[in-house]
Amino acid sequence: MEQPALGISDGIYAYKHLCEGGIDIHEIVVKKSSFRILLYYIGTICLLATVCRTLLSKEGLYLSSLWSISFAGIVAKCLRCDPVKKESLVIMPTFGVQLEQHFWSGRVRRKFVPIGKILKPVLNECVTPVICYWSLALLLRDEYELMLVFMKLRPPAKMLVPIWNALCAFKNSDSTRRLADPHPKDSACSPESKLKT
Amino acid sequence: MVSDFFFPNFGGVESHIYYLSQCLLKLGHKVVVMTHAYGNRSGVRYVTNGLKVYYVPWRPFLMQNTLPTLFLTLPIVRTIIIREKISVVHGHQAFSTLCHEALMHARTMGYKVVFTDHSLYGFADAGSIHMNKVLQFTLADIDQAICVSHTSKENTVLRSGIAPEKVFMVPNAVDTAMFTPSPKRLSCDEIVIVVISRLVYRKGADLLVEVIPEVCRLFPKVRFIIGGDGPKRVRLEEMREKFSLQDRVEMLGAVPHAQVRSRLISGHIFLNSSLTEAFCIAILEAASCGLLTVSTRVGGVPEVLPDDMIVLAEPAPEDMVRAVKKAIDMIPGIDPQVMHLRMKKLYSWDDVAKRTEIVYDRAMQSSTTNLLDRLPRYLTCGSWAGKLFCIVMIINYLLWRLLEFLQPAEDIEVVPDIGPLHAQIQRDDLCEAQENQI
Repeated sequence: MEQPALGISDGIYAYKHLCEGGIDIHEIVVKKSSFRILLYYIGTICLLATVCRTLLSKEGLYLSSLWSISFAGIVAKCLRCDPVKKESLVIMPTFGVQLEQHFWSGRVRRKFVPIGKILKPVLNECVTPVICYWSLALLLRDEYELMLVFMKLRPPAKMLVPIWNALCAFKNSDSTRRLADPHPKDSACSPESKLKT
Repeated sequence: MVSDFFFPNFGGVESHIYYLSQCLLKLGHKVVVMTHAYGNRSGVRYVTNGLKVYYVPWRPFLMQNTLPTLFLTLPIVRTIIIREKISVVHGHQAFSTLCHEALMHARTMGYKVVFTDHSLYGFADAGSIHMNKVLQFTLADIDQAICVSHTSKENTVLRSGIAPEKVFMVPNAVDTAMFTPSPKRLSCDEIVIVVISRLVYRKGADLLVEVIPEVCRLFPKVRFIIGGDGPKRVRLEEMREKFSLQDRVEMLGAVPHAQVRSRLISGHIFLNSSLTEAFCIAILEAASCGLLTVSTRVGGVPEVLPDDMIVLAEPAPEDMVRAVKKAIDMIPGIDPQVMHLRMKKLYSWDDVAKRTEIVYDRAMQSSTTNLLDRLPRYLTCGSWAGKLFCIVMIINYLLWRLLEFLQPAEDIEVVPDIGPLHAQIQRDDLCEAQENQI
């Protein structure tokens, strides 16, 4: 049964929480901003103009023209829109979680993490040379590195906290289930099944 | 607390920041340390008692100092100050570029700033002239400054031109719980002199090369233990070979700080031959372990210990040998336990934290001024330098305004305040006790 979506929104991202047939879906959607699209086109036009000017001029390729192309390339890269349209986390009780990346081009990249592999979800503070931000990551069994839930997007902590709470509840319910029934029926590992074989 | 010098790097400034932060946490303040990344140690770390450390991924470029970029550290400094709800920015060490930049940015944003100078610098050589100019810039608009000795205060005031009434003297201290004397008193049949320092020119390693053979010649029952490493180690090794002192001079190499106490308690006398010292925590550590100190009379060293715990000498080999002789004669009358108890009363980090708190209160009470009122303070730095500093501050202000437009302070999320770890543990214990009662 589908439940109505709950959401939090800020200037760049919108958070949506859906429940469909017992499956929990948490989505972070990038808001379409005409200003950012305009900046993207400006950056692309600058780069194309610089390249064309260099190629069509009679002087040929000099160090200064290479510098101007590189600089225009950096500006275009900074101004480009993120190719990711939304990232979502799908929690499937007793199975695991699926991390999805939806691109503006329509392509979807999915990654499934079984429940047994997840040790704990953690909220991390990340520090770069210019900014600090929060990230949600999964501690995985037998893995050295953390797995980021949202790989490209950087939603604020107020959006990550309900997702982290949902992951913790999902993990706790699995631990409770394992404690209650360490040897579930018809399992290949149960003593009864071993006697039968 | 901002400085290029923090753990895992080890030294006087690093331990000062650490111990001061721990004691301020105990007093109920929120303390955050900002330093640069050390190798793979990058990002946010929590050390003892929940002290939060930001290892900002700016790589050091020279002697553990971040590359000076003037304005590029503004975004990260602004973000950290806003998200942690900082009220006072406290910079440490004149040689730290990150400290100077952070203080400049904090001042631009209207925060209160305090600076602690840990070292003495000269006036004549090119390096000192440049360093003093940078210090003049930083201290031109500081709220309060702290120096670790009266000599250091005089040096800082002369170098920077800051008003003396803005400078407080708060000495360093020593962890007397860690540096305790040996439970068993050492026999006086053989006198052991301990030297633990970096073997560099500034620490007087060349003096040791002259003093050790003479002392060994005059006093057959004296033995030396030398801990530490550095470029001058080779000279000491050569001295050992030249005078055949291999059985009387033991070279330990670099000694981890956790093992310093065990090395100190194996000796009777601690020898410090520094050519310049603003304070010298090493002699505090030695005195706390019950050793009699022989030291050069330089900088702030005469202010550190009472006269019956230290023998001072001029930084010349003959005078140092005389001082060692006097110390050897004093050894039978020295009780390490009494010395340790006196050090406990004289120096404690809790006292340093309380005195630093007073400085913070004074800084918070100072008036808030806008850019136009602050610019004339930089003009006093020099005819050309003053104008250059004004331009730098104006550009910094404009960049800050641009950042405020692109990313308003309201959009920067504040970090939830969990408080110091010992308070949390107490809260958990209280909850558990209440649950048990129910």
